[in-house]
Amino acid sequence: MITVDSIRDCLEGSVPATVATCAADGTPNVSQVSQVHYVDGGHVALSFQFFNKTRENVLANPRAAVAVIDPGTAAQYRLALEYLRTETEGPLFERMKAKLAGIASHSGMSGVFRLRGADVYRVLAIERLPGREIPPPVPKKSLLAALRAASERLMRCTEFGKLLDELLACLDEAFGIGHAMVLVPDGAGTRLYTVASRGYAASGVGSEIPMGCGVIGVAARERTPIRISHMTSDYAYGQAIRERAAEQGMADRLETMIPLPGLPDSRSQLAVPVSADGRLLGVLYVESAEEMRFGYDEEDALVALATQTGMVARLLQEAAESHDEPPAAAARAAPPGGAPVTIRHYAADGSVFIGDDYLIKGVAGAIFCKLLRDYAGAQRTEFTNRELRLDPTIRLPDLSDNLEARLILLARRLAERCEFLKIEKTGRGRFRLAVARPFRLVEIPA
Amino acid sequence: MSQPPLIDEELAAFLCGPVSIYVASRAAGNLPVLVRASGCRIAPDRRRATLFLARSKSESVIGAVRAARVVAAVFTLPSSHRSVQLKGTDAEVGAPAAGDFEMVARYVEAFAREIDPLGYRAEMGRALLSLDAADLVALGFTPSAAFTQTPGPGAGAPLRAAAP
Repeated sequence: MITVDSIRDCLEGSVPATVATCAADGTPNVSQVSQVHYVDGGHVALSFQFFNKTRENVLANPRAAVAVIDPGTAAQYRLALEYLRTETEGPLFERMKAKLAGIASHSGMSGVFRLRGADVYRVLAIERLPGREIPPPVPKKSLLAALRAASERLMRCTEFGKLLDELLACLDEAFGIGHAMVLVPDGAGTRLYTVASRGYAASGVGSEIPMGCGVIGVAARERTPIRISHMTSDYAYGQAIRERAAEQGMADRLETMIPLPGLPDSRSQLAVPVSADGRLLGVLYVESAEEMRFGYDEEDALVALATQTGMVARLLQEAAESHDEPPAAAARAAPPGGAPVTIRHYAADGSVFIGDDYLIKGVAGAIFCKLLRDYAGAQRTEFTNRELRLDPTIRLPDLSDNLEARLILLARRLAERCEFLKIEKTGRGRFRLAVARPFRLVEIPA
Repeated sequence: MSQPPLIDEELAAFLCGPVSIYVASRAAGNLPVLVRASGCRIAPDRRRATLFLARSKSESVIGAVRAARVVAAVFTLPSSHRSVQLKGTDAEVGAPAAGDFEMVARYVEAFAREIDPLGYRAEMGRALLSLDAADLVALGFTPSAAFTQTPGPGAGAPLRAAAP
C-alpha cells in the first residue's frame, strides 16, 4: 500500500502540484498549488496563499483531489483528500512559511507568495498512475548508517563541550554536512548564542541572534525543525540582527560585535531544536551551498540525532553537578611575570574587555570576573560548577540554566581572543583558570 | 448575432503552447477528479477546446465527464507562471482525430524544451506526458468561462476575449 511516508519526495515542492475541488453546485475547479507539505503518515497540508475558488470550495465541500509528481522519477500520484482545518500560526505554519519562502525565491515569486494558512487535509487514498518512469538519480548516502555511526560516537562523550564538537564532526564525517553550528538560548530566552561551529573561517563562538530570527530563531521559538531548500532573503540574518540591535540602543550593539558564522551563498538550511525534558537546550543548524540538500529524510535523521544529543547533554549536566566536590586545597600558583593587562568589566551589561578588545558579556562575563576576583584575592585557580551556581554575584537566571554552555562559551572565547588566560577542564564539574600574565581588574559600576 | 469566442487568438496560442495542463471533473457524490493532459487543440473558430488524455490514467475523469459533462482545465506556462483556467459544461470524450497523435508528440517535445532550463530533466517531461497512440482519447468542450490563475492579486478574475 502506498502511504504518505512513501511519497515524501513528491512533497518537497520542487514540481508544482495541482488541486481539484468542486463547488457546492458541482462545478469543478482546478489550480496549481505551491506546496503540498507532509504532516504525518495520514495528513498533508496545502499552502493557503490567496482567497480563491479552491478555498471557497473546500470550505463548502471538503473533498479535494491532488496530483503530485516525484521529481526524481516522474512517477505520478493522485491523492484523495478531505479538508480538516486551517492553521495560521505554530510549528506547521512556520515550517511551511519558511519552505514557501524558498520556493517563492526559487521560482521568482518572492513578494507574491505569502502564506496565510496551512490547510490541513486527511489523506483518504493515494493512487499511483500507470506510466513511464525514469531511473531515479544516484541513491543518496545511507542516512541510517550515518545515524548509527553518529549515535555510537555521541554515546561515548563524557563532557558537554566534547559532545558538541563530536556532533559537528559526525555531521561532517558521517553525513557529509560540512557547515554546521550549535546555538544555545540565553537565560531570558530572548536570544541564542553560538557555542560551537564547524566549517567556517571564523568560529563565531559568542555571536548572537534574536529568538524568532531566521530559520534558527524560528526553530527555537516554535520548537520545530525549520528547513529551506533554496536561497532566500526572507530568512537572512544580517539585516534582522542589525535592526534588532538598533532598536535596542547602544548596549545591545554588543550583540553584533561577534559576526554570526554562515555561508554567503547558503541555498539549503535546516535548523533543528535540541531539547530535553521539554526544555530547549539549543539549536543545531546545518547549511549547504547546494539546493535541495536537505529533504524530509535528512530532517528526520537530524531530529533523531538532536534528540540523542539532548539526552546525553542532560545526563552530562546532571553528572557534572552531582559529582562536583569542593576543590582540592587550592594550589597557590606561582605569580606570572610581565606588565599587567587591564581587564574592564562593565556591571551594566556584564561586558568584559581585555585591553581594548571585547571578550564577552552577560552571565559568562560575570562568571569570568568572579574567577578573576578569586584569583586576584586568594590566588585561587581551581573552581567547581556548583560554586558558580551558588554565587550571588553571577545571578544565573535559574536553577536549570545550562551553566556548562556558558563555561564553554567563555573558554572558547578566551582561546580565540586571549593569549594569557585559559580555562581548562579538570574533571566532572571542575575546571582551572590558568593565568600566564598579571592583570588588573577594573570594575565599572552600572 | 453570436457572441465572439471566449478565446482570442493570443490565448489560443498560449493554450496550445508548452503549458502544463490538468483537467478536472465531478464524480458522483460531488467528488473532484483530475488528470494531466498531453496537449490541447483549439478549433479554427476558437469555440471548442480538445484536450488529449491517456485513457490508462483517466478512467475516473472519463467516467465523471460522461456522467456530468462538467470540466475545468488549467493551463500553466512553467517559465512565466502565467496560468489560465477554462470551464465547460458540455464535455464529451471521444476518439482522437487524424493528426492528433502527431500533435501530442510535438507538444511533448515542446514541453520538455520549456522545462529544461528550469532545472528539470527533459526526460522528465517526456515520461510525464508521452503516451501510446492506442491509449489516446480526446476530451472536447466549449469553453464557457475563462479565468486568470496567475499567482497574485488578480488570480481568479474572469478573462474576456479581446474585441474582434
